[in-house]
Amino acid sequence: MKKRNRARIFALGTAGVLAAGMLSGCTFGFASDPDDPNEKEKEIPIDTSVDTFSYDSSLAGTEITLLNSKAEIQAALTETAEVFEEKSGIHVEVMPVTEGDSPYTKVVSLYNSGTPPTMAILDTTDIVALAEEKALDLSDQPWIEEAGEYITKVNGKVYSLPLCVEGRGLIYNKAAIEETLGEEFDPESIHTLEEFQAFLDRLVDAGMEKPVSMAKEDWSLGAHHLQYVYETYDGTAEGTQEMIGLLKDGSLELETYDRMSQFLDMFDVLKQYNVAAADPLGADYDEMAIDLVDGKTAIWFNGNWAWPNLEEAGAEETDEYGFLPYFMNNDPDDYVNSEIQASPSKQVMIDGQMAGEKEQEAAKEFFNWIVYSEIGQQMLVKTCSLVPPFQNNPNEPIDPLGRDIYENIHGQTAYNSPAIVPNDHWSILGASMQKYLAGRCGREELIQDMKDYWAEQE
Amino acid sequence: MKNTEIGGTRKKVTHAAAITALIVIFIAYMFPFIMVLINSLKQKRDIIKSPFSWLFTIKGLSFDNFVKAFVQMDFLNAFKNSLLVTAAATILVTLLAAMLAYYIVRHNNKISNLTFALMVASMIIPFQAIMIPLVSIYGGTLNILNHRVTLIFMHTGFAMAMSVFMFHGFIKGSIPIALEEAAYIDGCTKSQTFFRIVFPLLKPIISTMVILNAMAFWNDFLLPSLVLTDKKLLTLPLSTYSFYGTYSADYGTIMAGLLLCVIPILILYVILQKQIISGVVAGAVK
Amino acid sequence: MKRKNNGKDFCFFALPGMICFFAVVIIPFLYGVYLTLTDWNGVSKVKHLVGLENFAGVLKDTQFWTSLLLTFKYVIAVVILVNVIAFFLAYLLTRGMKGQNFFRAGFFTPNLIGGIVLGYIWQFVFSRVFVSIGESTGWSLFEISWLSQPNMAFAALVLVTVWQLSGYMILIYVAGFMGLSEDVMEAASIDGANGWVKMKNIVLPLMMSSITICLFLTLSRAFMVYDVNLSLTAGAPYGTTQMAAMHVYEKAFTSRQFGVGQAEAVILFLIVACISGLQVYITKKKEVEA
Repeated sequence: MKKRNRARIFALGTAGVLAAGMLSGCTFGFASDPDDPNEKEKEIPIDTSVDTFSYDSSLAGTEITLLNSKAEIQAALTETAEVFEEKSGIHVEVMPVTEGDSPYTKVVSLYNSGTPPTMAILDTTDIVALAEEKALDLSDQPWIEEAGEYITKVNGKVYSLPLCVEGRGLIYNKAAIEETLGEEFDPESIHTLEEFQAFLDRLVDAGMEKPVSMAKEDWSLGAHHLQYVYETYDGTAEGTQEMIGLLKDGSLELETYDRMSQFLDMFDVLKQYNVAAADPLGADYDEMAIDLVDGKTAIWFNGNWAWPNLEEAGAEETDEYGFLPYFMNNDPDDYVNSEIQASPSKQVMIDGQMAGEKEQEAAKEFFNWIVYSEIGQQMLVKTCSLVPPFQNNPNEPIDPLGRDIYENIHGQTAYNSPAIVPNDHWSILGASMQKYLAGRCGREELIQDMKDYWAEQE
Repeated sequence: MKNTEIGGTRKKVTHAAAITALIVIFIAYMFPFIMVLINSLKQKRDIIKSPFSWLFTIKGLSFDNFVKAFVQMDFLNAFKNSLLVTAAATILVTLLAAMLAYYIVRHNNKISNLTFALMVASMIIPFQAIMIPLVSIYGGTLNILNHRVTLIFMHTGFAMAMSVFMFHGFIKGSIPIALEEAAYIDGCTKSQTFFRIVFPLLKPIISTMVILNAMAFWNDFLLPSLVLTDKKLLTLPLSTYSFYGTYSADYGTIMAGLLLCVIPILILYVILQKQIISGVVAGAVK
Repeated sequence: MKRKNNGKDFCFFALPGMICFFAVVIIPFLYGVYLTLTDWNGVSKVKHLVGLENFAGVLKDTQFWTSLLLTFKYVIAVVILVNVIAFFLAYLLTRGMKGQNFFRAGFFTPNLIGGIVLGYIWQFVFSRVFVSIGESTGWSLFEISWLSQPNMAFAALVLVTVWQLSGYMILIYVAGFMGLSEDVMEAASIDGANGWVKMKNIVLPLMMSSITICLFLTLSRAFMVYDVNLSLTAGAPYGTTQMAAMHVYEKAFTSRQFGVGQAEAVILFLIVACISGLQVYITKKKEVEA
């Protein structure tokens, strides 16, 4: 009986809701609300008056394709390609990787269908996997110099252009912190894990019950958190690869490796102050963005790619957001406690197998245009909101997160030591990390999972 | 059916209980749709923070999501593509499957039995197992991907097994061979007999298969995503790709886009449902 | 006369459909089986025959067998729930009550949404709506997101599948009930003391062909569940809800062991073929007896 009543109430309520929806929809529904963040078309003026780039007119009319695995810049990239076509006459068709598909699957199926994209934006691991088999050797390209340490080499050769540098760490909301503590906040004042924890305690005492947000997603836990273990070996790309080599041949004991326990110490602190501590695996990505902007939390572990989410949640470009390092111990002189990890995340390769010479030349022209032309430089930074890996690009990122990464890079307080791990690392060890986050396994089991995983790799 | 009134109170009680149960289950079934409907009219923040809130308690209710979905999906073009592919493939598979099933039922020979067995078995092939071979053959070797006709052909091929299976069951169970024998005696050819006598009798199962197939084609994502890359050819489910970011999804627009995709097929279903009933009535009159 | 036309009949009636079917399903499948015997990784230009090496890899892949076991559990739950629910709803919806067409349309609507989108919607319902209900009512059932607990996430998967598949099966059972004559339906009325007995003795045998079809369809669909698995739980929490088809896909593309993944797909096919073959054999036998 009770059930029936509930159903009836529900039905009535639903009908009422629908009616109300219709009514209000008719009265003010269609007029677009100027405050609606979805509606706001961001128009960043691109100065096209100066263009000293010398275009190769023989390439005009060439049609090439670009597979984009960075969904959030799809529209911006299309716009960039249109401007490029206007200037050079080369048509670049930007193809998205659709939902439910992984970029790698998409590339594999495109190669098998005989219509691979001329250029493909992929994660570094995918580039490494495909480079020697499919990609065009770009070792003679001039932009290698501009990208410096952000170039990825496969057996001594360059196969890809680093499209952007992405950094990650603890995003803080300065205004929220200052409002809670009632005093000025200087992110540089925290140098150790102990100080960080004391800082969190002060936030809690001041009324912010749980100041930290951390994602439950396996890519965040398995790649972004866990890879600190590898990336802090000596803070260089070579060192990280060496460390991974040691893991593979089993000569590095994770149980006794100091960075392993340091990483877990930090992770435990974050876990303790997690706003979703009651149900850490129920945390919602979008809600974390809203919580940080609203000041319900002060810290969100993420990277500068999170800016569109913050912006959508109501953050302004003039607001003060930035990164704190992933504190791993109490030594203020250890670089991990003062520097931000920032590496090239997405790279572009050119197909060396099916594409004709003219298409390949056109693709190289597109690369050079992005790196050297005034317009391309602007569009990379302003239209696509990326942090450029090229030293010659004079444009500074506009959003606070990108700007902070940019400043860290230029202030020598960033380290670039990307871990190139097997592709299923994030998913398999991400699952183990989820278990650890949910408190369903201890350190020993997590470390055992890692050892088992690495033992299987060749 | 009129007899329900003759029954005693006991009958009425069970009847009422049945209806109540039906309504309760029905509402449970509808719950996600109600959520979609409500939330498609809200802004992302409200969707995340108060997904259950009634519309009149929040601000920011609007049809913006629908407008945005409509524009970003290039709705009219995608709708046209979906309609073309779905209609062509549905007609093709219905016709071919009915004929093939008819042949199999009426010709009990080795080829029919083998084909039928293969078809039944093929229904349990995981699509993942043929995905890459399929694109290798049609793209790498034949190079005919990225055409609507290819997609229609593949839809037809993939739906064939299930459709033949269903037609087979129906023809075997409900079409008396005596009718056809009478037609032969009257001088009808095989194809005349099939199209004039048998096909009309298949109406109920045709309606069922049309709706099942049309729906599967309309909603299919994986196959079109493998076959079509040209933006101008994208079908409705493919055109919603821009609502899904790498890290988060644009819930409001997804829900609005979903409703836009579902409404046409819902209309088809309502129309066809009457057909299913009239088909059965016609069958009873014979 | 009949025999003379046999070849022509075959070309006219059977061939077009068979061509479509063989070209799209059988040939790629055979090619796929061939690939399991090679070391091709999906991108390399050359492939070498390696015999059964990939199948040896399957034996070593304990995760695959775990996921298969989970799939069995899932299939049993789904097949029973879907068919019981769909059978009785279809029965209620063919008794000529007012608005039955409306109800039928309603129950079918879950099928109008593609699997991937459907998973996202339910994910939203489980992780946002239910939790929000839990917060405001204090019901402990909804306090913690179902998707963050292994058993509840599994239940969520079953629930969503039942929700979606039963509408489909209702359609087939409805067609079956409508094919029965009025007299049978009258006799089948569950009112009265011996209603259930009648149901069992009269209706069930006559419905056996529908039951065969529905069992087969639910069985094969449940075994191959992929879309909903991917978009609803993606294996979370910590890989406890990864079903066989999803594992196959992950193995082939995320772990980049294309050959092993393909071999697992073939093994999955063989297992499902055996089980559903057995099911069809058993239920068909019942049909004949009826």
